[in-house]
Amino acid sequence: MVGIVGYGAYVPRFRITLEEIAEVWGKEPADIINGFRVREKSVPAFDEDAVTLAIEASNAALTMAGITAEEIESVFVGSESHPYAVNPSSTIVAEYLGVGNNFFAADLEFACKAGSAGMQIGAGLIGSGQAAYALAVGSDVAQGKPHDALEYTAASAAAAFILGKKKTEILAEIVAMSSFSSDTPDFWRRDGAKFPSHFGRFTGEPAYFTHVLGEGKKLLQQSKLQPSDFDYCVFHMPNGKFPRVAAKKLGFSPEQLAPSLTVDLIGNPYSGSSLLGLAAVLDIAKPGQKIFFVSYGSGAGSDGFIFQTTPHITEKQKINLPVRDMIGNKEYLSYTKYLRHMHSI
Amino acid sequence: MKIHILGGATTKFGELWGVSPRDLAREAMSQALLHSSMKPKDIDAIFVGNMLSGILGNQANLGSLIAEELGVFVPAIRVEAACASGGLALHTAINGIRSGQYKNVLVVGIEKMTDHSSDDVTTGLMAAGSDDERSAGATFPGLYALIARAYMQEYGVTEEDLAGVSVKNHYHGSLNVKAQFQSPITVADVMKSSRIADPLKLLDCSPISDGAAAVVITGENPKKWHKKPIAISASEVASDTLSLHKRSSFTSLSAVVKAAKQAYAVAGIASKDVDVAEIHDCFSIAEAIGTEDLGFSKKGMGAKDIAAGKFTLGIGKLVTNPSGGLKACGHPVGATGIKQIVELSEQLRGTAGKRQVEKARIGLAHNVGGSGTLAVIHILSTL
Amino acid sequence: MSTTPVKLWRRQKHTTTLIGKKGKILLWTMIRVPAKAFAPQAPYPVVIVELSSGVRMMGQLVDWQEKDLVVGRIVTAVIRRSRVEDTEEVLSYQIKFKPL
Repeated sequence: MVGIVGYGAYVPRFRITLEEIAEVWGKEPADIINGFRVREKSVPAFDEDAVTLAIEASNAALTMAGITAEEIESVFVGSESHPYAVNPSSTIVAEYLGVGNNFFAADLEFACKAGSAGMQIGAGLIGSGQAAYALAVGSDVAQGKPHDALEYTAASAAAAFILGKKKTEILAEIVAMSSFSSDTPDFWRRDGAKFPSHFGRFTGEPAYFTHVLGEGKKLLQQSKLQPSDFDYCVFHMPNGKFPRVAAKKLGFSPEQLAPSLTVDLIGNPYSGSSLLGLAAVLDIAKPGQKIFFVSYGSGAGSDGFIFQTTPHITEKQKINLPVRDMIGNKEYLSYTKYLRHMHSI
Repeated sequence: MKIHILGGATTKFGELWGVSPRDLAREAMSQALLHSSMKPKDIDAIFVGNMLSGILGNQANLGSLIAEELGVFVPAIRVEAACASGGLALHTAINGIRSGQYKNVLVVGIEKMTDHSSDDVTTGLMAAGSDDERSAGATFPGLYALIARAYMQEYGVTEEDLAGVSVKNHYHGSLNVKAQFQSPITVADVMKSSRIADPLKLLDCSPISDGAAAVVITGENPKKWHKKPIAISASEVASDTLSLHKRSSFTSLSAVVKAAKQAYAVAGIASKDVDVAEIHDCFSIAEAIGTEDLGFSKKGMGAKDIAAGKFTLGIGKLVTNPSGGLKACGHPVGATGIKQIVELSEQLRGTAGKRQVEKARIGLAHNVGGSGTLAVIHILSTL
Repeated sequence: MSTTPVKLWRRQKHTTTLIGKKGKILLWTMIRVPAKAFAPQAPYPVVIVELSSGVRMMGQLVDWQEKDLVVGRIVTAVIRRSRVEDTEEVLSYQIKFKPL
């Protein structure tokens, strides 16, 4: 059995409303808010980056897991905003956690699915008996080019998952996992470019939906389960609309999806998005419940998981501040302050 | 062995754009020698006090540079202790004479700060602090601002009370042709000046200055060289933690208390015997606390006593900072400690003109490095 | 250079032990005229904190509001990027304090 023994999340304190951004560019706030179905997004502090966010989330996961840092034998940090082009975030995170020297490590990039990819690698190492515990983190301080559509939703957060194989520690077992990828250039950032580029509506049907639905259907077929067999579903959330449409197309109800929709509160923190949604669901799930999870990363691909919660989840939920409570701790910024926080001015 | 001060001199302090460091050294040294009836060849050793030359201008090895300017290649020793470099240079020179190795020694304090941007100077001055303080983003005014906050909290002292220090020193500075600032200011002026590090404002802070000061001291019969030599009754030093956050008190500098206690004992006097003092007012709060640490005011009363005029020329019995202090006279860092000695010598000789403190017999110089990391106390007296 | 890779590397282990430690503000000031490397961040508060272990530290206060600038305010040690590096220098992470 391989499963989650601890998870943690970190959302920076600052927010900017889409209304504030829209007014700068002379757009109708209602159009923007309705178009993306997002009201506000999370903004990092001046001195936060993908690594500091990852350390916060990982420390929370470690506290919940109840193990020592040295027991972690695999660290994979996934991000689109690794502080270095060359020099791994994974070792910096491992250092500040106190992991020691004995661990598998590398940085991952696969747009918004780099974090879930890390979970699949970690699960593989544990399942093959090569590691006792694996840490996977999805963390981003996403940059959106001013005046571009992405500026409204590109947000910041990190979610960390520690996987293990001891039945007495697992709070959610990985029942199934698979992945679906292709070469689809919907959204990209060239080396040295500050902001990502995207191809508008091409990011929808041929990109997000092809892969999320492709992986979703594969997961259902392989597990021989129906949407109604699940208690919750989680999808990557680039905006408030796409996950709702994906859920519906796969046959899930709004009630199954609702607890995961952190996008409604903080926008899209890229590699942290689907993992943050998963953390929000785990915060409220009861023992013996099934969770359907499909992430998405541009370029493109989707990682799928089926999780089943165990009786241990109840005790572990009490350890950290729930994601929604953490999100509720916030302070709003003006557009100019936002630019300062994003190091644009 | 008794050691005496012969002639001394200071250059003008201020923003001296056209004056190079070598110009400053030459002016101060030649005047000090002239007032000592000496020629360069009469000097056995030179001691130089300076903080920033290496940090800002990449010029270390100042002993040799100054010896070259003097034109005699005698032992040349550079001494550094941040803002106490001047005082410590004098202390070291005194011990050079006490060792028996040197008889007549020239001590120069010198600093050239305006060749560099104020950004670079702010950064450079933090060399006086610790790595922890620098990484925290503290600045020198920031460290004293923390001390000010502790002091104001503990004793119910206000920013207006502290402003009294700058007001007094600007009044004294208006009587000193060598001072950087020669116009009086009011408490209101201080209160509306821009904030540097809360609660300290621009007019609570000593300026960035250029300047040099020099004295000649001797271990042989002083009357050979000068009609009115001044006796050095004590030269004492004490240190404390480099970091402010490691101190045992935030409202008193124990290095000052210690060095002053030693100095009073060696000189055989008490604080009430001091007639004139030059106190290290790098910031208004520093003089308020220094006044207490030296025993001139009760604890918590320093700022209030100063604001009430207790140490002002023409009002108080003990006058502090008749030169205008660091605030009004200026603070070319390495020069200050020696300027204090030159000022006190003139006071004790009765040659301080408009700044003259009546019947000054005993003078005290208080020179502090960093946020209180090192204190140098000199006590001077007429024969 | 603001700090060198070797000095950063030597300091890391110590920084790790401080993450998450709680303390209280003993003194605070607002730096408005910063040293060069800190110019983009100014103005910012610098505090002296006493950790519950009794150890005292100096650091920047982050994620603060006016009401947090009081003596006695409880804070926690967090790890943040120093942001004093230029575009080619190694990155520096350090302890700062955040109101709880």
